[in-house]
Amino acid sequence: MAGNEWTLEFPYRRSVGPIVGEFLTALRKGELKGARTASGRVIVPALEYDPETGEPVEELVAVADHGTVTSFAWIAEPKRHQPLDRPFAFAHIRLEGADTDLFHLVDAGSEEAMSIGMAVEASWRDERDGSITDIAAFVPTGDA
Amino acid sequence: MADDKPPQDKPTGAEEPDKPVRFMRQMVSLDYIAHQSPLARRYGAALAEKRVVGQRCPKCSLVYVPLRGFCPLCVVEMTENDEVDVSDHGTITTFTIITPIQYYGQQEREDYTLASILLDGADQTIGQQRLGSIDNSEVRPGIRVKAVWKDDLSGAESGTGGAIEHWEPSGEPDVDPAEFEEHVS
Amino acid sequence: MSLQDIAIVAWAEAPREQPEGTTDSALLIPIISEALEAVGLSRRDVGFWCSGSADYLTGAPFAFVGQLEATGAWPPINESHVEMDGAWALYEAWVRLHHGDIDVACVYAAGRPSAAGDMGEVLGVQLDPYYLQPLWPDHIALAALQADAFMRRTNTNERVLAEVVAAARTVASGDANAVVDGSTDVDELLRAPTVAGPLRAHDAPTFTDGAATIVLATADKAAELTDNPVWIRGIDHRIDAHYPTMRDLSRVHSASVAAEAAGVANAPIELAELSAGFSHQVPMLIEALGLDDNCAVNQSGGSIVADPMMVTGLVRIARAAQAITTGAKKRTLAHAASGPALQQNLVCVLEGGQ
Repeated sequence: MAGNEWTLEFPYRRSVGPIVGEFLTALRKGELKGARTASGRVIVPALEYDPETGEPVEELVAVADHGTVTSFAWIAEPKRHQPLDRPFAFAHIRLEGADTDLFHLVDAGSEEAMSIGMAVEASWRDERDGSITDIAAFVPTGDA
Repeated sequence: MADDKPPQDKPTGAEEPDKPVRFMRQMVSLDYIAHQSPLARRYGAALAEKRVVGQRCPKCSLVYVPLRGFCPLCVVEMTENDEVDVSDHGTITTFTIITPIQYYGQQEREDYTLASILLDGADQTIGQQRLGSIDNSEVRPGIRVKAVWKDDLSGAESGTGGAIEHWEPSGEPDVDPAEFEEHVS
Repeated sequence: MSLQDIAIVAWAEAPREQPEGTTDSALLIPIISEALEAVGLSRRDVGFWCSGSADYLTGAPFAFVGQLEATGAWPPINESHVEMDGAWALYEAWVRLHHGDIDVACVYAAGRPSAAGDMGEVLGVQLDPYYLQPLWPDHIALAALQADAFMRRTNTNERVLAEVVAAARTVASGDANAVVDGSTDVDELLRAPTVAGPLRAHDAPTFTDGAATIVLATADKAAELTDNPVWIRGIDHRIDAHYPTMRDLSRVHSASVAAEAAGVANAPIELAELSAGFSHQVPMLIEALGLDDNCAVNQSGGSIVADPMMVTGLVRIARAAQAITTGAKKRTLAHAASGPALQQNLVCVLEGGQ
């Protein structure tokens, strides 16, 4: 016997804090920032602490909105809620000026168009609200 | 009116485009499938016949309503053989008057009372019961009430709320609260 | 606190076949009775109860409070709950027994993924809400990036993953609680389409409902209760950074640290029961835990063939203990995991003998 389906909703309003807030504020402007640690590494996206030492990060610095794919997983059949309704890749992207990878999407059309080391750039939404989805996806450089 | 959207009082990055982003909104929305347990199905089937059924613990003899399959005090199984009918008349042991805050998803508009009712023949109160035909200000422990059954019992399988419209005063004299002291915590 | 010996003295698992619409309490009551009665104990003999579960599985806030009815919580009992796999509840009970004022603890866990509409969405809620969750990667997508990182570093190919699945399904045929009955032919498995990166649907965990319980006792009490105690020689849990690229995804660093702290390397491990939900995580964990070729792994197939969410890790501990009481093994390891792509890892080393 099939059961009754029902939906549970939790609406949250979260304070984002100064570091995440500055990162999201930059996204709204169409810019990307990283957090510089005491050792000089630039972490993207900006975290409040250096994951290697636990020390607070020092300041946020600008990084490029383009870079290279370091790893990817092709999603042949996107699921409900995922940002694209056509096949895409979840990917790790090393932005120019960053020392860690950003987790995001690459919209390249086909799995064959994907490769480790491929150059990608951010495709920004026209209407941005200060969220990680202000970048609609990364696309092969030159396609944006 | 209740909001038909999540809370708005702290502006997000979209709502204050000239200020630094300080807040974000997140809606966690998850789907579930409710599978009714065999016990709930039997309880609902009895309600469809305007019967309230409970189970008597074979060890301690306490009668539980609704069906639960085991006595939580003795932790022994209770089966269909332990089922007993209890009355659709009972006594209000405790109650609370709720002023519904108009948060996202709120369906209630007016103040209302929810009561715990000790049905005649049961040792466990049924909770969160709606009252009718009585003003909130008149509700007190010890009032005798009876079930007002719905005309349409097709929703009875979902439980008490699907079968009983609400509980209303039966007109019997109040019960001395000392008699149900152990049911009030 | 003096570290004294703590033993596993009994355990029980709920059978997979259950009436539709069963409740957590109905799953737990018979197995708690079974485990306690096996060593002549009653519920009143338990000095501390600890449980693991996640309310998000059934969407019922405070569902764990309802589970307490399985303990016989009147008169009031001493209990605690972790919103984690039951293996972490066992860790808390192990710590609690070291206080020295009680001698028996009972750990239990229950999980019913069958109530969740989409486990990928439910598991998405455990992700950070700022940078990850809004992109809705599910557990398979995150594991796929981990698989890619591991496979490229170690030159592991997809055939190895298919062999892990085939081996799990083969041994699972003898296990009543296993779910999968699909192909065990590696070439046939490789013909299935990938769903995320190198992963195919069969590389992912098979979620199922379940419940398990384990009874722990201090050394003196254990000697009273059983001739066959299983000693917890070491137990430790560690966590990596949450954001997937802030750690080396090709390794399970926190599992290695936990293994060292639990004393895995002190003597050979003969059997490892691993909470590896994905096929690539089996070779990853073998490497991370420093297990050698002589160590048997997941003798009943592990999480690939039956993953009772929130119960899996506790089941791994029970299975690793069972191998000792049957006399088959002398020193075994159980592993539990939590979070995306093995973010958090618990390692428990078990030994037989007096």
